[in-house]
Amino acid sequence: MSILRRASQIARGAKSDAPADPLLAALQAALDPDRVKIDDAHRSLLGKDASVFEGGNAGPICYPSTTAEVAEIVTIAAQFDRAVVPRGAGTGLAGGAIPLGAPVVVAVTKMNRILEIDEANGVAWVEPGVVNLDLTRHLTPLGYHFAPDPSSQQVCTIGGNVANNSGGPHCLAYGVTNAHILAIEVVTPAGDIVMLGGIDPEPSGYDLRGVFVGSEGTLGIATKVAVKLTKNRPAVRTLLLSFSSVRDAANTVSGVIAAGIVPAAMEVMDQAITQAVENYVGAGYPRDAAAVLLAEVDGPADGIDIDANRIREIGLANHATEVRLATDDAERTLLWKGRKTAFGAVAQIAPNYYLHDTVVPRSQLADVLDKIYAIADAHDLLIMNVFHAGDGNLHPLIVFDGREDGVLDRVHAAGAEIIEASLAAGGVLSGEHGIGVEKQGYMELLFSEIDLDHQNRLRRAFDPVCRANPGKVLPSGHSCADIQQLRSVPAGLWG
Amino acid sequence: MDLRLDADDLNSCVQCGLCLPHCPTFRVTGDEAMSPRGRIHLMREVQDNNAPLTPEILDSFETCVQCRGCEPACPSSVPYGHLMEQTRESLADVGEMTPLWQRAMLAPLSTPVALKAGSSLLGVANKLNLVPKRLGLPAEVPVRQQPLDSTGTDVYFFTGCVMDAWQRDVHRAGMRVLQAAGIGATPTNELAPCCGALQAHAGLTNQTRDLAEQMMLNLRGDRPILVDSAGCGAAMKDYGHLLGTPTAEAFSARVFDIQEFLADHVRSLPTVEPLDLRVAVQDPCHLRHVQRVHLATRTVLRPFVRELVELEDDGLCCGAGGAYSVLQPELAGQIRDRKVDVINGVRPDIVASANPGCSMHLGNAGVETLHPMQLIDRALTS
Amino acid sequence: MTARLYSTDPVLDAFADDVGSDDPIAIVGGQTRWETGGELAAGTRTIAAPIGIVDYIPEEMIVTVRAGTTVAELHAELESKGQWTALPERGGTVGGAIAVGENDFRRPARGDIRSAVLQVRYISSDGQIVTGGGPTVKNVSGFDVPRLVTGSLGTLGCIAEVLLRTNPIPSRRQWFESTDVDPFALHELLLAPGPILWDGATTRVMLHGHEVDVDADAARINVLGSFAEIEAPPAPSGHRWSLPPADLRSLPSNGMGTFVAEIGVGIVHAEHPQPSRPLSPAVQLIHERMKAEFDPTGRLNPGRQVGAH
Repeated sequence: MSILRRASQIARGAKSDAPADPLLAALQAALDPDRVKIDDAHRSLLGKDASVFEGGNAGPICYPSTTAEVAEIVTIAAQFDRAVVPRGAGTGLAGGAIPLGAPVVVAVTKMNRILEIDEANGVAWVEPGVVNLDLTRHLTPLGYHFAPDPSSQQVCTIGGNVANNSGGPHCLAYGVTNAHILAIEVVTPAGDIVMLGGIDPEPSGYDLRGVFVGSEGTLGIATKVAVKLTKNRPAVRTLLLSFSSVRDAANTVSGVIAAGIVPAAMEVMDQAITQAVENYVGAGYPRDAAAVLLAEVDGPADGIDIDANRIREIGLANHATEVRLATDDAERTLLWKGRKTAFGAVAQIAPNYYLHDTVVPRSQLADVLDKIYAIADAHDLLIMNVFHAGDGNLHPLIVFDGREDGVLDRVHAAGAEIIEASLAAGGVLSGEHGIGVEKQGYMELLFSEIDLDHQNRLRRAFDPVCRANPGKVLPSGHSCADIQQLRSVPAGLWG
Repeated sequence: MDLRLDADDLNSCVQCGLCLPHCPTFRVTGDEAMSPRGRIHLMREVQDNNAPLTPEILDSFETCVQCRGCEPACPSSVPYGHLMEQTRESLADVGEMTPLWQRAMLAPLSTPVALKAGSSLLGVANKLNLVPKRLGLPAEVPVRQQPLDSTGTDVYFFTGCVMDAWQRDVHRAGMRVLQAAGIGATPTNELAPCCGALQAHAGLTNQTRDLAEQMMLNLRGDRPILVDSAGCGAAMKDYGHLLGTPTAEAFSARVFDIQEFLADHVRSLPTVEPLDLRVAVQDPCHLRHVQRVHLATRTVLRPFVRELVELEDDGLCCGAGGAYSVLQPELAGQIRDRKVDVINGVRPDIVASANPGCSMHLGNAGVETLHPMQLIDRALTS
Repeated sequence: MTARLYSTDPVLDAFADDVGSDDPIAIVGGQTRWETGGELAAGTRTIAAPIGIVDYIPEEMIVTVRAGTTVAELHAELESKGQWTALPERGGTVGGAIAVGENDFRRPARGDIRSAVLQVRYISSDGQIVTGGGPTVKNVSGFDVPRLVTGSLGTLGCIAEVLLRTNPIPSRRQWFESTDVDPFALHELLLAPGPILWDGATTRVMLHGHEVDVDADAARINVLGSFAEIEAPPAPSGHRWSLPPADLRSLPSNGMGTFVAEIGVGIVHAEHPQPSRPLSPAVQLIHERMKAEFDPTGRLNPGRQVGAH
């Protein structure tokens, strides 16, 4: 420790000094001082997630390691009438974990244990801080995996997956997170510990478990999760189809679904992305194709050959210029590597990107994509498309250099038009990123005042006093949503 | 304060967080301040927003192992290692990092006579149990060693500082293996007393520059320079960036990790009975994440052992980090515990590690390690 | 009360008028699960939900249907395009099936009813038309009202119309029967078996998928025991038990009497009813608040209660 540093520590008072703030004192007594952070550095760090939103304002940051500790933190926060915001890896793109109004931040990264693998019941009990890919790696030798595989799966947590009802390429056949969660232990906004759902197929009562998944931390904090074990697939066929227009690729996707085939995954990348990926990892994608479709079928070997052949035929009927079947695991891994590093490849092109997330009916994919390219042209922006085509989940990616004057205004304007075009086609606001603070303002385009009021009633049943992650999901005007009303911070303490 | 960080480099991070699981300190603490994303954010706070250098911010920078495991994971190719080195240099310049006692510890590295005297003294002290265990010294610090003799002039064999003092047997094994492949090597000894890696990690980059200049002068010519310490090799391959001159770049291009070099000559090695061992390959960070030549270890080792097994942790750091295990013993221990669990999980007979720091650090936790060169040497001579 | 906002759909408007906003009311479907959750309070007005398939888009694998439509009628229409839904086939209506939220024994082949409801329109306690969810297969836009309504026994709103996910009917389905096989070993052996029913002696399993896959699976299961092809069995009847799937291994030891168990799922159809499974006080509190939020006057399906048994 440098002399200067030691001096500065002495100047700001030794750590053992009792904190002046009673909330802080209570939190530090409940955990221990090391696991409660109030310094500017931590408050600044935990004020952000992976989204582009600034303006987060974190209060005390707690690192609990047990359910009891979470309950104690929430109870203390309630006593001091302060909100709580849960946080996992902070990879959310809609700002769901951004603290508003200096709430107590509950970082569950230390709750990262896989508690039990119960093969007889087909479940694993895990803590919310367990990383998605860590769980699957742990299960693989036993013959299972956790099916949701968001692109951030190497870092995102199960708690975050629950909060956002996360998807991923392979959710086409297997379903999103909600279909893979059987039970959730939750600390309610009042500090009670409850079990929602159960490992039996029909737990009694309202489906509060189903409602909790995707609620973005606004109904309480998950502290233990029972996830469904999915058996590993015995065989896989991965096809790469190339097209001379994005429309042909989109029509192939619709055609496959219409033919009654539900592939494990169907992902489309347009030419801009394909070329970026090739420059970045060299996945063997054709650079001259206007779009490539990565389709995967899995299951028993004989049947998937039939499906793979039909996908090939449908592709050719839609003018595919090339259909390639990965011949071995290495080639398949490489094809997927291209898809999974697509966003990274984009980062090589310009320093900033804004990733959107809307869903449209699959039959509308081609038309909506045309509109998106037109929107990009009108705003003089580069938009690339890489998306979960099989379930109509678009991920238009606006690539830009934030240092360019006025570019952010154009990026936001284009984003708004993309959302409007998706809704006009009968789509929805978000497929897997959630609403957070990003899309609150658009909720009124999708829902009526009455619809939103009923969503708010649902929320109030869990949280009558707006204590859990306030200011998210529902637009302002609805209770809990008006950031201005959030309790201000005691003067002087948080700066 | 101005950390003198390149604005483009600093802005290249988009805060996606994909680096988090690849960071050993984040893995064991779950604390954003101990993650690459967090550290870059704090660099911005200091450089762009003039945030004061609070103990928490300094702690965030000081606890980085500089393993650079985050770099291959980064989709935006943020040059994290260079950002952290520059940050430390700027902080050391104003006395906010690397206090005098640390500087005093590093000083003998670049002076062979002082290092040998100090090392021998340490060896004796260690035998008398006078050295605190947390310093993580090898159980046997040699007091006297036989000198290394030249075996030819095909390549230089970089001997360095601490490794030469404590693990000269590894050098000896490496030179014998090279000889078996028909490659004659000249040990650099006093020509290149130290690569300067530890100094650069500590923010004393000017010392590294001086050492680099000296080494480049003494090792002129076009002979390849082979290095059997991953950390030293990574530092020497970075001289081009560090000095920014064509000469330095040309010098860096001559630097090879010994496994990397031998991978192209593996057919020249005699065919022998493989050692009856199940060997786990532990990739030193600076071989895997920085030099990115870790696959060569498998190429050269495979013919000489019964079985090679991989550690399924994406090459997460073991916590050695040069002087890190001494400066941050608690974190280094927690990081090592994870690694030891992974190693035990694959039940190897022995672990192969191509970096002296890693093998010492793991050795102190009871993990038996050998340098790949020692394994090959053993196979060739048994 | 606030004035009702009218939709663009006269059928929904008429249903909302019918529901009104004042008196106790219950929606009656096929009454196949009329005893669930207690007895309807006397003096409650009963009405039927609107009927008809509104929009079926086979290539999108979605169908919009009025709540009063029978499942049989819906499935007959879907079958013409080679599709079906997760709704149970027990003679009732679409709205009734969703209000009860139970799957039938075909769940392993057809999916979970709670994942099948993508969008729901219901009439609220104060007579408004409310929409929850959205028309796409993937959606995290706001709170999951469809999941709340599914299985809520009509206590939170009167279901008027739903948008359901459909699934392709496998090209081959074949039931097999065996009396000398361990049903749990059978479940472990198969990757994604259809329903497996076991009554303590006889095991019946449906294999489904491509012809070649069913043939391959049929060959595999014959290693475990001797199987014979049979016609599809009738739906099991009796009292419904919900148990962790592993608990089925210790049947029949729960005093349930004779039984038919859904192996791998955890539902058991038994002679005697399952002992009550009370909610914890904290969950009960959320239930009460939910009911109060959605139906402050308690007029929706009075007397019926979710999680009451």
